[in-house]
Amino acid sequence: MRQLTRSLPKWLHSGRVAIGLAIVVIVGFCAIFAPLLAPHDPNEQTLISTFLPPVWEQGGDPAYILGTDSLGRDVLSRLIYGARLAMLVAVFASLGAMLIGATLAHIAGYFGGWIDALIGRAVDVWMSFPPVILSLILMVGIGVGVRNVILAIVLVDWTRFCRVLRSEVLVVARKDYVAAARLLGFSHWRTITREIIPASLPLLITLVSLEMGIAVIVEAILSFVGLSVGDQTPAWGQMIADARQYIYDSPWNLVFPILAIFIAVLGFNLLGDGLRRTLDVRVTETQRV
Amino acid sequence: MMSSLLPLIGRRLLVSVLILLVVSLLLFVVLHALPVDPAAMSLPPNATIAEIEAKRKEMGLDLPLPQQYLIWLQQVLHGNFGDSIHYRRSVVGLVTNTLPATIELAVLSIAIAAVLGVVGGLVLFHVRGTREEPVIDFGSILLLSIPEFLWGLFFILIFGVALQWLPFTGRLDPDLRLPHGTGFLLVDALLAGRLDIFWSALRHMILPCFALGIAFSPTIMRVLRSSLIDVYHEDYIHMARLRGLSERRILLRHALKNAFLPTLSLMGVQFGFLFGGTLLVEVIFSYPGLGNLMVDAVRNADLPIIQLVGLAYCVVVLIINTVVDSLYLLLNPKLRLRS
Repeated sequence: MRQLTRSLPKWLHSGRVAIGLAIVVIVGFCAIFAPLLAPHDPNEQTLISTFLPPVWEQGGDPAYILGTDSLGRDVLSRLIYGARLAMLVAVFASLGAMLIGATLAHIAGYFGGWIDALIGRAVDVWMSFPPVILSLILMVGIGVGVRNVILAIVLVDWTRFCRVLRSEVLVVARKDYVAAARLLGFSHWRTITREIIPASLPLLITLVSLEMGIAVIVEAILSFVGLSVGDQTPAWGQMIADARQYIYDSPWNLVFPILAIFIAVLGFNLLGDGLRRTLDVRVTETQRV
Repeated sequence: MMSSLLPLIGRRLLVSVLILLVVSLLLFVVLHALPVDPAAMSLPPNATIAEIEAKRKEMGLDLPLPQQYLIWLQQVLHGNFGDSIHYRRSVVGLVTNTLPATIELAVLSIAIAAVLGVVGGLVLFHVRGTREEPVIDFGSILLLSIPEFLWGLFFILIFGVALQWLPFTGRLDPDLRLPHGTGFLLVDALLAGRLDIFWSALRHMILPCFALGIAFSPTIMRVLRSSLIDVYHEDYIHMARLRGLSERRILLRHALKNAFLPTLSLMGVQFGFLFGGTLLVEVIFSYPGLGNLMVDAVRNADLPIIQLVGLAYCVVVLIINTVVDSLYLLLNPKLRLRS
């Protein structure tokens, strides 16, 4: 057993990383293999058996382990299919936000001067919008659909990466070894990609993990207010919105999607926090926000 | 002291105005990318094409976009935001009716978040290095993973539906009438001497405010803890200990003063997010504030409302940032010397 733990890479030793990664892998597994795992079609309505309670409650049906919703759709299947949308948005939105934010942060931190000032002002403008409001307005502007949800989150959240990474790049770019690289005649491109990015990478990875949790929440918020992907694709936020209308008929319908969102976000947060410790990144709490 | 502060605050205000101008431009551009025709929407459905064309001309929709923006900006500066397409009422009236409710909610919530955050931060700091630390730290990540709208739903399930202790829809019990006045319900009720209304309004605000407060407190806790740890490395804490002061006095009278500054500037950022977070909480609790107005407007593609509400959120956030920055200057003597 000790042999086994020693052979693992160092960052996997942390309990947080292990638990976080396990949760993320399980949710991801559900998302990828949803058609195989789900016992029913998530949109199949059985109107004679609506509001079935979960199987351990009185009146539960073993065919519907977590019960059914107002239209008699299987809650478990909808949860499993909901993971698809959540993970899809989490992965692509955070990678997109990372790409834009990190690029601008490296440009601003490396070149400094008026470029830095310009990018800094743009971040200020973005920060004067509460993120929820900005994403709502963007969704109105660009319309609903998975791709637009991802686009909206990218356009709102790139500032999180830009702010934090910029100050990191600023420090790294003033180091002697970077100056040495420039003196050796490395181009700006090569200096940034070969010398600076390896130094800012741990912070970048940590931020991506935290951002994935945020993306799950934002997607849930957008589908809760009915601005995400439409009725045909099961989404956790939409399940919450449905269940809220029938809160007295079946409180369980509300509990399960809440738990699903909580567990997914917890997974990403634990992973991010664990990585922050093991990769020895100094993400202060102010930056996290 | 004030005279050295005023230029700094003035510059801050100037920056805010510039930001607001850019924000208004952004709002205008985003909402004009919409595939809906505001002219057709503001006329009854049986209007002829000629009528719609005339309306388009009247609304200036045939002009190039930069010109449309200038016209719009000019009207905005005169306080004319147009009428809501859906409600057929002045947008300014709609927003001024709902804004106080949202501000009331946000202020109470940030107070709760601040109290929970400071107390939690002191607890987190107190247990540092002990065996309980990992457990409590893990707990704070757990709290961090529950956004405000999930807390709201939890509370509805537990205190509203299961225990039936507290109401969870609207601002008042249905048999009470809104008193006229400032729009801040708690203030109005007290001014009118109606304790029953005050009590009812307060009961309606407990669940949404705690949902927001608890959701935003873990970040405050963790910042306070880490800045306390930083402060404890400084010499003056060591000196205080050598002078024989009690640990309690050192923490509360000496360390907290300095450690609170980073926490305060974080709370400024947090308040901006919290103000946005009220949107979801308002929708969940059917609370008639800015958030519900916004969500309804979004569903009806009611552009004039979306524009003004978007601006209103920005203005409030910018005001908060300016106030917090000024407070920071007031409380931190080191920053005053520079000017």
